[in-house]
Amino acid sequence: MNMQLTLASRYLLGRKLRTALTVLAIAFGVLLIYGLNSIMPSFQQAFQANAMALASQVDASITNRAGAAFPAATLARVTAIDGVRTAIGTLERSLGLPADFFDHDPATPDRVAAVTLMGGEPAALRSMATYPLEEGRFLEAGDADAVVITRSLAEAAGVGLGDTLRLPTTGGLAALTVVGLLPQRLLPGNEEALVTLGEAQRLLDLPGQINVIEVNFDSAEKARRDQIEANIRAALGPGFTIGVLQAGAELLNSIEMGQQMMNLLGILGLLMGGFIILNTFRTVVAERRRDIGLLRAVGASRRTVTGLILVESLLLGALGSVIGLALGFGLARLVTSALAPMYGQFLNLQIPLPGFMPGLALAAVGAGVGVTVLASLLPARAASRVTPLEALRPAIGPASLRKLTGVGFWSGVLMLALAVAALLTRSATWLSLGSLLFVLGLLLVSPALVTPIAALFGRLAALLFARDGTAQLAEGNLERQPSRAALTASTTMIGLAILVMSAGMISSISITFQRMLRTSLGSDYLLVPPAVATWGLSVGANPALAEELRAVDGVQVVSTLRFAGSQVGDLPISVLGIDPPAYEQTSGLTFDQGDPAAAYAQINAGRSVIVNGLLASGAGLKLGGTVNLLTATGETPYTVVGIGGDYLNAKLPTAYISQANIAADFGRREDVFYQINLKQGADPAAAEAAFKRLLQPYPQFKLVAGQAYIDQNLALFDAMFAGLYAMLIFLAIPSLIAMVNTLAIGVIERRREIGMLRAVGATRRQVRRVIVVEALILAAIGVAFGLLAGLYLGYMAVVALSAYGFSMDYAFPGSAIVVAIAAGLLFGVIAALIPARQAAGLPIVSALRFE
Amino acid sequence: MPIVETQNLSKIYGAGEVAVTALDHVSISVEAGEFVAIMGPSGCGKSTLLHLLGGLDSVSDGSVLIDGQNLAGMKDDDLTRLRRRKIGFIFQFFNLIPVLTAQENVALPITLDGVKPAEARARAAEWLTRLDMAERMHHRPDQLSGGQQQRVAIARALVADPDLILADEPTGNLDTRAGDEIAETLRQVSQQWGRAVVMVTHDPRIAAYADRIIFLKDGKVNDQTILAPRRNGDAATAAAPLQAPA
Amino acid sequence: MSVRNAFLGLLAQKPRHGYELRAAFEAIAGGGVNWDVKPAQVYATLDRLAEAGLVVCTSDLGEGDEPGRRVYALTEAGLAALRQWFDEGVEPEHQRDEFYIKLMVALASGAGDPHRILRTQRGLIYQRLHGLTTQRNALDARVALAQVLLLDKAIMHLEADLRWLEFVEARLGDIQRQPLPAPQVRARGRPKKGS
Ligand SMILES: Nc1ncnc2c1ncn2[C@@H]1O[C@H](COP(=O)(O)OP(=O)(O)O)[C@@H](O)[C@H]1O
Ligand SMILES: [Mg+2]
Repeated sequence: MNMQLTLASRYLLGRKLRTALTVLAIAFGVLLIYGLNSIMPSFQQAFQANAMALASQVDASITNRAGAAFPAATLARVTAIDGVRTAIGTLERSLGLPADFFDHDPATPDRVAAVTLMGGEPAALRSMATYPLEEGRFLEAGDADAVVITRSLAEAAGVGLGDTLRLPTTGGLAALTVVGLLPQRLLPGNEEALVTLGEAQRLLDLPGQINVIEVNFDSAEKARRDQIEANIRAALGPGFTIGVLQAGAELLNSIEMGQQMMNLLGILGLLMGGFIILNTFRTVVAERRRDIGLLRAVGASRRTVTGLILVESLLLGALGSVIGLALGFGLARLVTSALAPMYGQFLNLQIPLPGFMPGLALAAVGAGVGVTVLASLLPARAASRVTPLEALRPAIGPASLRKLTGVGFWSGVLMLALAVAALLTRSATWLSLGSLLFVLGLLLVSPALVTPIAALFGRLAALLFARDGTAQLAEGNLERQPSRAALTASTTMIGLAILVMSAGMISSISITFQRMLRTSLGSDYLLVPPAVATWGLSVGANPALAEELRAVDGVQVVSTLRFAGSQVGDLPISVLGIDPPAYEQTSGLTFDQGDPAAAYAQINAGRSVIVNGLLASGAGLKLGGTVNLLTATGETPYTVVGIGGDYLNAKLPTAYISQANIAADFGRREDVFYQINLKQGADPAAAEAAFKRLLQPYPQFKLVAGQAYIDQNLALFDAMFAGLYAMLIFLAIPSLIAMVNTLAIGVIERRREIGMLRAVGATRRQVRRVIVVEALILAAIGVAFGLLAGLYLGYMAVVALSAYGFSMDYAFPGSAIVVAIAAGLLFGVIAALIPARQAAGLPIVSALRFE
Repeated sequence: MPIVETQNLSKIYGAGEVAVTALDHVSISVEAGEFVAIMGPSGCGKSTLLHLLGGLDSVSDGSVLIDGQNLAGMKDDDLTRLRRRKIGFIFQFFNLIPVLTAQENVALPITLDGVKPAEARARAAEWLTRLDMAERMHHRPDQLSGGQQQRVAIARALVADPDLILADEPTGNLDTRAGDEIAETLRQVSQQWGRAVVMVTHDPRIAAYADRIIFLKDGKVNDQTILAPRRNGDAATAAAPLQAPA
Repeated sequence: MSVRNAFLGLLAQKPRHGYELRAAFEAIAGGGVNWDVKPAQVYATLDRLAEAGLVVCTSDLGEGDEPGRRVYALTEAGLAALRQWFDEGVEPEHQRDEFYIKLMVALASGAGDPHRILRTQRGLIYQRLHGLTTQRNALDARVALAQVLLLDKAIMHLEADLRWLEFVEARLGDIQRQPLPAPQVRARGRPKKGS
């Protein structure tokens, strides 16, 4: 072991560049895993802290499972339960604020993006928590238009004691007098505005309703508390949940999903790292056969030799992981500090800088070292099979081409065939299996294809710019080690495959959504709340506003959307209330199944529902079937009369019902979104002015011209493409490292040959060209496979998404393919820079002397 | 005029305490058509001298003149060009590029010099035939014996019609018989085709093929032995018919 | 000694004239360059052989008494002597070396430069070696294998000599440092003759 350590470190130090590149590859994977994983918990923590802060001093919070308000009388039922010491009912609502609400300056977003309006009986509130006033007084029963806020909110809003605080409500701007100031908030999170329960019910237009019951138990003992919780559950029935705040679950979910995505990226990075390491160690063993034979000849056992390689990989892995960890920590801090202001604004969360996470660090290092050691296992085994004879035999040029169309090749072909067959099944399970098979199949087939592809591109390069035999040399060099070339190309392939796949997906989604966009948002004007689609955070307006808008001169029709959260089984869904006759004129759903006219008629007629594809596939719904929507009063059956959706809600499982039903079953009368069409020949300027006037008390809405909104959304897709290209750059790094590594290894291996080339009269430029052409051919192979894999995967993803309920057309990502080819070849040239310089700069004599 | 000439040539590796004087004021000259062997114990500077003669390494002191041109101060590209037109190299090991066939290996120097591939191949074939390797033209190096590989290397050294062939232990890796053949071929190269050949060897038997032996010891010329008197004029006449078609 | 025995062998083949015998010997020995025997030596040897009764001179009819006209043939005793020669090995002779003596004398007397002597010898051997290889390569081994092998032998011995010279040159300093071998002083009398 000691000897192995000595040998391993000598070898590593003897090849500094290669060691550095390999370490870099591992570091990159670990960086991604650690960095990205430590960012998300920060966000989660912040969010949970926020939720906890709200629920801190109570034993349990009871909310409606659908997040709906419920009659204040429910409180009495809870109070009566055995074990409940105190219980209070409150009405709470997060009021999303437009970015320029307080300072009226769109350029600098307000620090406070949302305020939680909290209504409760003053006495009850104080029985649950202490409110240490800094100035003024607490609320008193019967207060009207009085509010108690924190000093931080007061500062943000620019108000003091006795001043008027304006907040958007469904009934227009509410003007409340600040009667008391609480200390500055210490914990980051939502700012609160305390009002009396009656005030809150009035402001939110929910007379006699509450939406949270907070409970203190009479015991701190675990068993007893569980008992009390069970009692509450029994008393209230399945419509209520205890503990978690329902509203936050959705957000936490998406945060978790983000984390999983990033993990995937990290694993991908590590996988590429694995490729690179495998590659490196294969070369290490190949070029050290004599040394290993010598070791064996002087008495090293097979185990010792295996150990030598493993120790080397262990050293590399450990070094790479530690560096990756440090970089990952830095990255996490960097990203958080860059993103925090943005999030702070959108969600009003203060994101703490991530601290060092020992558990995660351990896992990341474990993954890094594990992958390294695992990747070196095969080469280590190969090394142990070297016989002592190899030390005695003179080295023969490794140009013998192995038979490459062996079992691996044919099983690869089989996998590809199966993958294509999987496309035909259109079943999500088969499709995801198919994508795996396709990538694996390509990897298996690729070594055999290296030679013909290299020959093709070699000839091309020879024609284009390397007429002096250098292209031929480069081509020969690649053909000499086809499996290594394939392995290197496969890292490029993975990167580009992801790019082309995502491009295929996004352009397909984009085309489909653009079509939907034009149907859904085809009206002349839109009134848009601050948070589109996450309707729960937005403050809407009373039906009165819609009426006023309809009365404006020149308005032909106004249609609105109303929102309620619900569940189908365990699936959280959005329920939207639409008003079909008007809705059809301004907008429309894109139907997959069912007749639009009939469906609209039916939802107005009874408890009928149109569900979007996501919901249909998620809950297994069929046209004509029944779905049980969780309403404020329990589960209510609806008949499915159509499957279709609109642009804004395409990402969420959504049910469309009539506005009458959403009022009856969910108690929602609040409009969250408006679409307005003008009459033919109406004066737009006058209408706009009228709208603006009407909207003055409702600063939560922004008036947008329909076309402008569509353009904005299209810009969003452009941003998505930009993000895609950013991702490409990220993914390019490991493939770049892999290519640099392989080329550098090639240079190291062929020092003597290069020296000889120079001796027989190759100029530095010609030597450089050999390496560059080699890189270009490698890149071309990677690009070819990447395109193939990407196109397949993209098509597959679209088919799979259709299977999940997003029906869409496949769009061929032409521009992305051009970008991928350009980027792939560019990477090739960039990757060749260092090794080419190195090769050209080799002193001839030392290259010749090199043993 | 000598093809290659050194004047007080010195080479010192490293500096300060670890400095090694590999060559110490060596002055030699080699005429056209002459076959010179360089002998001496291991480490006496034979390879170093050869490398300097071929402009592969930089001199520490003194000068190397090829065809009257001083190599010192030449730019790398010019040096490379000179090398590829005036000098042919033959080494002990790994003489050939493994991924190229015998013919392609031979054609390499002139291909690099911009000769059209077809013509380069034809010239390579011509030299291989002359060296009795016609049947092995399309074999890769690993399909050739050591002696055959060296023959290919000689063909490659000759293909650009250089004036000077430098060979570093060309028989070091071969058995006696193959070594004799290579030595005889090199003698042919000098006598029949009029090239100057400078060959490093430590094998007296191989050295005896040369016209002249230069003995090196500790980086200095220790002795010279003339084995065969200069054949005046015969080199030039013999070389004439073998010039490649212009 | 070996010339004498070779003559016996050649006469065993068939009776010959003296000049015929000389030519046959030279052909076998690899040519006059390799080993040339003067006619006088041929006749002196033949006379001695005849004296010892190993050969007889069977003068040809009417050819007179000139030595060149005499034909020699092998006798029974001659055949026996030839057989005896075949039955014995040939003593290799390397210790009696003129160059060695020259070098030692130079060292002892200080009158000659040992390095110079070494170099001269080396040069000479290389010249011989060059000559031998040229000669050897001029022969066609398919018809003259025996001669090629003889030349090979000579070449190998010269190679050995060159290697030995290398050793000597490398160790010359050590030799000079060591005391020269001195004659053993005897109490009385002269050393015996022939030792
Ligand atoms: N790159 C180098 N660095 C340091 N010393 C060197 C280098 N190359 C050769 N030498 C030294 O120079 C001397 C001559 O080497 P070389 O010419 O290779 O000898 P040889 O006669 O065996 O070919 C040796 O002592 C060797 O150690
Ligand atoms: Mg050497």
